[in-house]
Amino acid sequence: MKKTAIVFSFHTNKTRKIAEKIREEFGKASIDMVNAEEITPKQFLSYDNLILGASTWFDGELPNFWDEFVPAMEDLDMKGKTVAIFGNGDQKEYPDNFVDAIGILADLLESRGASIVGMTPLTGYTFTRSRAQRGDRFAGLPLDWENQPRQNSPRVKAWVEQLKKELP
Amino acid sequence: MEIKKFHSIKHTDKETLAQWYRLLTLGRRLDDRAPNYLKQALGWSYHAPYAGHDGIQLAIGQVFEKSKDHLFPYYRDMLTALSAGMTAEEIILNGISKATDPSSGGRHMSNHFAKPEWNIHNVSSCTGNHASQAAGVGRAFRRYNHEGVVISSQGESSVSEGYVYEAINGATTEKLPVIFVFQDNGFGISVPKKDQTANRKVADNFSGFKNLEIIHCNGKDVFDSMNAMQTAKEYVKTSGLPVIVQANCVRIHSHSNSDRHELYRDDAERNYVLEYDPLGKYRRMLLRYERFTEAELEAIENEVKDIVKAAHKAALAAPNPDPASIFDFVLPEAYAASKYPEGIHSHQGESKRLIDALNETLKAEFRHNPDTFIWGQDMAHKEKGGIFNVSKGLQKEFGKDRVFNAPIAEDYIVATANGMSRFDEKIRIVIEGAEFADYFWPAMEQFVDSTHDYWRSNGKFVPNMTIRLASGGYIGGGLYHSQSIEGSLATFPGTRIVYPSFADDAAGLLRTSIRSKGITVFMEPKALYNAPEASTPIPDDFEVPFGKARIRRQGRDLSMITYGNTTHLCLRAAEQLEKETGASIEVLDIRSILPLDKEAILASVRKTSRALVVHEDKVFGGFGGELAAMITEEAFEALDAPVRRVGSTFTPVGFNRILEAAVLPNVERIYMAAKELLAY
Repeated sequence: MKKTAIVFSFHTNKTRKIAEKIREEFGKASIDMVNAEEITPKQFLSYDNLILGASTWFDGELPNFWDEFVPAMEDLDMKGKTVAIFGNGDQKEYPDNFVDAIGILADLLESRGASIVGMTPLTGYTFTRSRAQRGDRFAGLPLDWENQPRQNSPRVKAWVEQLKKELP
Repeated sequence: MEIKKFHSIKHTDKETLAQWYRLLTLGRRLDDRAPNYLKQALGWSYHAPYAGHDGIQLAIGQVFEKSKDHLFPYYRDMLTALSAGMTAEEIILNGISKATDPSSGGRHMSNHFAKPEWNIHNVSSCTGNHASQAAGVGRAFRRYNHEGVVISSQGESSVSEGYVYEAINGATTEKLPVIFVFQDNGFGISVPKKDQTANRKVADNFSGFKNLEIIHCNGKDVFDSMNAMQTAKEYVKTSGLPVIVQANCVRIHSHSNSDRHELYRDDAERNYVLEYDPLGKYRRMLLRYERFTEAELEAIENEVKDIVKAAHKAALAAPNPDPASIFDFVLPEAYAASKYPEGIHSHQGESKRLIDALNETLKAEFRHNPDTFIWGQDMAHKEKGGIFNVSKGLQKEFGKDRVFNAPIAEDYIVATANGMSRFDEKIRIVIEGAEFADYFWPAMEQFVDSTHDYWRSNGKFVPNMTIRLASGGYIGGGLYHSQSIEGSLATFPGTRIVYPSFADDAAGLLRTSIRSKGITVFMEPKALYNAPEASTPIPDDFEVPFGKARIRRQGRDLSMITYGNTTHLCLRAAEQLEKETGASIEVLDIRSILPLDKEAILASVRKTSRALVVHEDKVFGGFGGELAAMITEEAFEALDAPVRRVGSTFTPVGFNRILEAAVLPNVERIYMAAKELLAY
């Protein structure tokens, strides 16, 4: 696998656990852990594969650390980069904006030339609207700690197996 | 609606970014320091912190142009006010309620920032009720071809209020240039938004409205908020149509300093919102994208500290309001009505019906003043002109811009009169406040608010409106077409109330009402519209000053003090009494409830030594209680008998004519009461 990083906020708790689980599932593959709060465009572009962790905040927003990096991402040339995104959402309390953050990042990075991989089926989730929805799939991996915590582990395992095939 | 990109951290010029940082820092410093004034017993006992709304409030103020636009901020809009141009000193003057507070001279609650001379309006605490006043200003923009937008700002929870629906329904129907901003921090005091409405984004409740665009933005983010507000303003200016901007904010602190949010928000939630402190985010971005150095930002922060220090010092030294000033600006001066200083004439001519007197006076006044408007339900459609055809022919003569229908939304009818008045003090508005006085209750909050305006703004604004209400019973109308509501309305300082019972007085009082500044409730005894006994000759230029009673029958032995429908019943009872007993009865039609002609009432009572107060409203709780108390207090020595009252029973008015007759006062009851009083 090409040079890969998992980018997430080191101040988070749930996202950090998922990030660690993902790295563990990748086994011996060398994956860097990068703090999203301090990332620079140069560092971002130094990886071929980026696995991004972005929970949805409030009613469908990016976390502030990702949002603050958006102006930089808007100017990046992401051609040749492969991006996979996971994120926490609450399908019961926020069904109208379920895992929007995944969709916001996917749309932005794809518009800059990145390839989005790690898309997952909608089955198993109940929600009304999501910016992450693309047809019958999500543009990444939704995780719901509030309502489906026991599914986190199998979902991450399956996703990593998928990524192993999809990440160059 | 897509937000256009006018600004970004990378491309907005440095001077603008610096000004925004200055305002954001200044606002936050004032916001953070406000509670200290209360702790030191200096005032600001009501402070609703805005922290977490920084982006959208900065943006509202930045897009507001005081030469063209009108702004209705709500009680959390401190940064909005600053960003619109108010100074730190003005903010503190309002906070600690000083006489020089530009918002209200210390009269209105703190944290209600306004500057009426810039059209930053002084609004009530009835949250969100200014949305329909904003629509009223928008209507004035349309009528006078004014270029500009109206911005109305409120919290998302207040959108639950029915009058916000009325405002947006009206603005979209009339295509008015209004930006409705909903600042969404997730709570209405302690009530989470899931208990307010089903949509987490309340603006989406309006997605089915025609002629309406909805913009969602991140109210915590300066750039997204600026772009959203500029997009909204550009759209409103080019399309002339209204927009809702819903700004997602966070409430970092409690609702206000009388609230403790730790009682209903857990640590995790409070930390979560604190994490997204908009000021912190903006500062980080200025540094991250190398637009400013740390030293440059610190220099601005120091500058702000000095501004606040100086403002604090100046505000503390400002004078307090004078307690003797409380009677200033309750009501503006009325039209002088000097042609008939006593409101009495000796014109001999053809008798006119009361309804014709109203219709002809309306037409005459609309010819006299091109800045008069009238609207209400059933106001204008083909041959129809008002529910009782009082305004028949007005639209035909004066056009649809000045004479038009309103939706069945009484609150909106009154609110838009209030709002339209804000555009220019030359405007005079007549409204049919409701189809019947009985349906005026939904408009009560706007009525109360309007009665406060002159006093609350320290004389800077008064709505100029005549509220016509077809009132009273005797028509077999039942519970909702018979009510007399003047007693309730008279409990509010800040309005006049007149209640004619003859055609000439109706004409004269209507003319004076329309020409006056301020609010006049014009009660129309609908049972008398076509009644021959209410018909009189009327001079074309007749006018009746407020607060002038009229003796309709001279007498020596007993005074009947009355108004409206019962004036005629009193006259008949008086005739009967004189015929049967020889008693000489005086009938005094007070005509004007607020202001009251105490002098005439007391003079009559002192002459006759007996007072019978008669009105159609219920005896218990009716305005007659005030009359009786005033007579007793001020003319006790002149009385030979207790003051007696006749009015309705303390029941609703029944529909069956038998029930109606049992409830409402009649000649017989007045006759009997007078007879007993004469024999006392």
